[in-house]
Amino acid sequence: MASNKPEDKGLRNTVIGTVLFIVVALVGVSLYTNSSKNATLPGGTSKSDGYGITFNSKATPQIDIWEDFQCPICKTFEGINNSYVNDLATSGKAKVVYHPMAFIGAESVTAANAAACSNEEGKFIQFHKALYENQSPTENSGKWTSDAMISLGKSVGIKTKSFETCVKDAKFGDWIKKIGNDASSKNVNATPTVFINGKEIDRQTQYMNADAFKAAVEAARTK
Amino acid sequence: MKKFQPWITLLFRLILGGVLVAAGWLKVFNTYESKASVRAYDLLPVGAANLLGTVLPSLEIGLGLLIILGIWSRMMALIGTGLMIIFVIAISQAWIRGLPINCGCFGNGGLTADGKVNHWTYFSEILRDLGLIVCGIYIYRNPVGKLALDK
Repeated sequence: MASNKPEDKGLRNTVIGTVLFIVVALVGVSLYTNSSKNATLPGGTSKSDGYGITFNSKATPQIDIWEDFQCPICKTFEGINNSYVNDLATSGKAKVVYHPMAFIGAESVTAANAAACSNEEGKFIQFHKALYENQSPTENSGKWTSDAMISLGKSVGIKTKSFETCVKDAKFGDWIKKIGNDASSKNVNATPTVFINGKEIDRQTQYMNADAFKAAVEAARTK
Repeated sequence: MKKFQPWITLLFRLILGGVLVAAGWLKVFNTYESKASVRAYDLLPVGAANLLGTVLPSLEIGLGLLIILGIWSRMMALIGTGLMIIFVIAISQAWIRGLPINCGCFGNGGLTADGKVNHWTYFSEILRDLGLIVCGIYIYRNPVGKLALDK
């Protein structure tokens, strides 16, 4: 058993070195993939609002929604509350900030980028709705490609070349990292997560009930 | 029984190391999620949890590889066992406090989207980690195994 031949030692040391290198490289990759220094920001987004797509920046109360377009529970949430929230956003009766995240992976990035592109065309609310209606029952199924985003854009009336380029070039890819890093710092641990005036509403009772959600928003209004 | 010991050590190295590599690999390219998992346990300040969520997957992979290859077997078995004990404590405290979380052990972490506490998941996760602790202790006590780079 106790063979201490030099070549054995050499192999062992090489393997140890390789494993250490792999660990350091992976930590490097983890840090790099979260780095968003040179991000292009969509119009109207700001650090103070966590880089989210913002409607009615001066209105109160403020509703922050962290979501992932691939997440099935986000689709459920959207189905229950979207007509009310869309009304608030379009009528100016509240400040609504959307934070599209990419918890689920590649196709979430594609969708979030395309959503930011649709905002540049003034069609975010319509595109947002279309994305959820188009959601695949399985995650990262191959359904949401750049071409799929472009035809989804056409279905809500976005026909510009600038939208196509924006989608294909993943113009706001690094912006999604900014959203993710901001969410990490705000202890947002799930999608959907909703803050009203900076505080999370109750996950068990106020998310999936249209009346309770509306009541939570209106209660924040009177204060 | 003595005759089989080096093979059992190898088997347990493959199980403990394999689980660590798999757990790390599934999280390492999506550290937003692994950070959310660590935060959801609500044990560390947000900044520290984010740091741990960033480096833990890489460290799990490194530790798992060393255990599989049989390098520094006793030391690595000790670290692996210690890590599993920490996981059991983290999961147990979350269960006792009724935190509605996904384990996030293999990705898919964070809070459960419906806010429900899944008791069966908590139970099975603790059971799995206890099994891995048994593997770790066995390797620590019987470090000489087949196909190891330690001599």
